[in-house]
Amino acid sequence: MLQAHSPLWNYLWVAPNVLLLILAALIWGRGLRRLFPAFLAFAVLSAIGQLAVFVADVAPSVSAENFWVVDWVSLLTEGTLKFVLIAEIFACVFDPYPSVAKLGKFLIRAVGVALVLTSAVAAAYAPKGTYALISGAHLLEQTIYLIECGLLIFVFLFSSYFRLSWDRPLFGIALGLSVSACVHLATWAVLANTNLSTANRHYLDFLNMATYHACVLIWFYYLLVPQKAVIKSAVPLPENNLAVWNRELERLLHQ
Amino acid sequence: MTLAIVLVIAAVLALVFILRVALSRSLQISADASLAGQIQPMDVAAFRNLIDPAEDHYLRRRLPASDFRLVQRERLRAMANYVQLAGRNAAVLVRIGQEALTTSDAQTAEAAQQLVDQALLLRRNAAVALLRIYVALAWPSLGLAAAPILDGYERLNGSAMLLGRLQNPAAPVRISATW
Repeated sequence: MLQAHSPLWNYLWVAPNVLLLILAALIWGRGLRRLFPAFLAFAVLSAIGQLAVFVADVAPSVSAENFWVVDWVSLLTEGTLKFVLIAEIFACVFDPYPSVAKLGKFLIRAVGVALVLTSAVAAAYAPKGTYALISGAHLLEQTIYLIECGLLIFVFLFSSYFRLSWDRPLFGIALGLSVSACVHLATWAVLANTNLSTANRHYLDFLNMATYHACVLIWFYYLLVPQKAVIKSAVPLPENNLAVWNRELERLLHQ
Repeated sequence: MTLAIVLVIAAVLALVFILRVALSRSLQISADASLAGQIQPMDVAAFRNLIDPAEDHYLRRRLPASDFRLVQRERLRAMANYVQLAGRNAAVLVRIGQEALTTSDAQTAEAAQQLVDQALLLRRNAAVALLRIYVALAWPSLGLAAAPILDGYERLNGSAMLLGRLQNPAAPVRISATW
């Protein structure tokens, strides 16, 4: 069952991408495309890219070399879209608050530079395979997920420190992307830096595909299932006296 | 192989952190009702006295250098406690302000926005001030300007009271113990 091209393998490769295309159509239909244009682009293009890689994998007419070329193109497109999506998440969370947005932008750029350098060092120390096209693709996966994971952790850490609340759909997008990035980083680090047997490599492929499937379901849940209606009353505030209040109000008005 | 292990450990830690954030977010939604109760009043007068440069000069003049360093360290620890408290209060006020941002009343929403901005600024300043205090703990004879934190805290207090007044005219919030 846990073999390449088994029914489960084919399902886990195709289904999340088909679901992602359906999700993109639903997002479009519900008018959410203006809120999350980068996510919409990511959903459509990465799903098409992954389906193209699947077709290249199963079609007998596609040579092994051409398969890896298709994989490279898909990877580069998906990687670029992910970074655009992270920029969109960052802007949605922090841009409404100018007092931290500027600091956040400065810090995320610094973190980005540090991650690029770290991933370059990691790639330089990785063992070189016989086929540059294949080992290069593995290293590119490791590099993309390392940078993606680091940037997303920074966004979560920074917003957690300032106790900023997220919109539900935005949180869902970031959560799915982060879970996927963490698991893929771990698996691609193993795949790019060790000499696993083919069977073990397939287990990791299954883990990657199953995780991605779960992440697509997370996106479905957070983007399409409405939040339970919570009746919010005015926040109960502690007692105080009016004289102090009036004095402070005057002070505020005179600033 | 070592690199793979390091990256796997980093990825697992990152995953645990993200799952904790997701869990705390769902718990946070149910705990929002008790937010105002989490605010701890702060004695602004005592803090003002603590950061008064004249006090520093006085102690420096009157005490031997070794005694001054000991006393200054104690004062810096007390200062750090105040700054941490101000930072925690600012974090609670960010959430109170964000809750109020969704209101349909334009005046309340504007007050909430102001409160959130000032609370975020204070939290940022508190982090920087804490860093400086910890550096000063190593070199107590260095000067330390914490006054901007106090000014920020007082402005924040005014905003919190304005928002509290707009939301509930009978009971505005207060985040300072003395005036």
